[in-house]
Amino acid sequence: MISIMGNKLHSYYRVGICLLLLSAPAFAHHGGAAYDQDHPLTLTGTVKDFHFIQPHPLIALEVKDAQGATSEWSVEMTAPNHLVRYGWNGKKLKAGDQITVVGLPSKNGLKILNLRKISWATGELIPLGPPLVSGQE
Amino acid sequence: MLRKQIVGLIFSLAMLLAFSVGLRAQTTDSAKKAAADQAMIKPAAAHAPDFSGVWEMHMPASARKWAIYSFVPGIPEMTPWGKALYETTKPSWGPRAVTDSTDLVNPTNGNDVGCFPTGVPRIYTHPFPFEIVQTSGRVIELFEFNHFVRQIYTDGPHKHAEDLDPTWMGDSIGWWEGDTLVIDSVGFNDKTWVDRAGLPHSDQLHVIERISRPKHDTLVVHITIDDPKTYTKTWDGELIYQLEPTWKLTEMICEDNVTFNQLKKEGKEQ
Repeated sequence: MISIMGNKLHSYYRVGICLLLLSAPAFAHHGGAAYDQDHPLTLTGTVKDFHFIQPHPLIALEVKDAQGATSEWSVEMTAPNHLVRYGWNGKKLKAGDQITVVGLPSKNGLKILNLRKISWATGELIPLGPPLVSGQE
Repeated sequence: MLRKQIVGLIFSLAMLLAFSVGLRAQTTDSAKKAAADQAMIKPAAAHAPDFSGVWEMHMPASARKWAIYSFVPGIPEMTPWGKALYETTKPSWGPRAVTDSTDLVNPTNGNDVGCFPTGVPRIYTHPFPFEIVQTSGRVIELFEFNHFVRQIYTDGPHKHAEDLDPTWMGDSIGWWEGDTLVIDSVGFNDKTWVDRAGLPHSDQLHVIERISRPKHDTLVVHITIDDPKTYTKTWDGELIYQLEPTWKLTEMICEDNVTFNQLKKEGKEQ
């Protein structure tokens, strides 16, 4: 958790803060060992499907690479119990929505991302946890 | 004639007496039942502090790295027996976390559902809120995590039942020491861990919790582990919780893990 705030991510300072804040619930179920905490990834794409399920909601995200090839990522969220306290429900995302996500990729090379931050196409952040307050960093 | 009247009078008095005794007995029974019913629902005794509310873990920033999986930052000193057991644990959390954990509660291999009870004190280390409900002579802990419930009777003898059969969550008795709730628990099976990082215990585990509310919005759960078969000495740790006055506990059913695992298998894990 702490290591992700290293030099490489200096420009992602805010992401790092979010990571610290959200680290507890985000890894609530399956542990953090499966994800590469040193190489967070940013993906922009189109929501294909959204399952607001226990123990972690899943977003199926279609992403186009620079060559125009499309691939599908499975974006895993923190527990829905936490998310409902910050404005989420099963209708928050729908097929066709354009979103950008920042997360930790699965170490096994499969296209699975452990979500740390999410925003609409406009750049507006979608809160995943409590607002930042002084001293939480 | 007079004799008949006297006999009649005595008979009438006897009937009246019998009826009134019956009535009194009924009244007494009703009163007892009403009192018992009242005792079941009346709020905690005036002298006991009120810990009611929904509590969410809120540790200082310096402790958050380890408080996600334990209530202590380090590894307590173990007996050779305990150390050997510790080396067999495969947690999905903590410094020894592995991706193929078969943890009974938080498996990571996608094959196990993970519905087994956490045991105590591990239940406190799962990052989900819990609610305290108090009635006279009883403190009830409702955990959002898999809906576990602990009932701590504070009006009974300070003594566990003899020959307890081992259970996942143990046998707990409680009492008040001033403004502190003390919970003493034994009777655990040896299948659980004391935290999420694989700290083991034996069936001799004895857990002492001391719960206090130093401020209106702060609850402190101090935990002492006494397990001479596993650890060389007793050791302790502490977790801090924050009151969430607007929160309600929400549904969490671990059997839903089946759907989750299936979706992942159908998607990116095949």
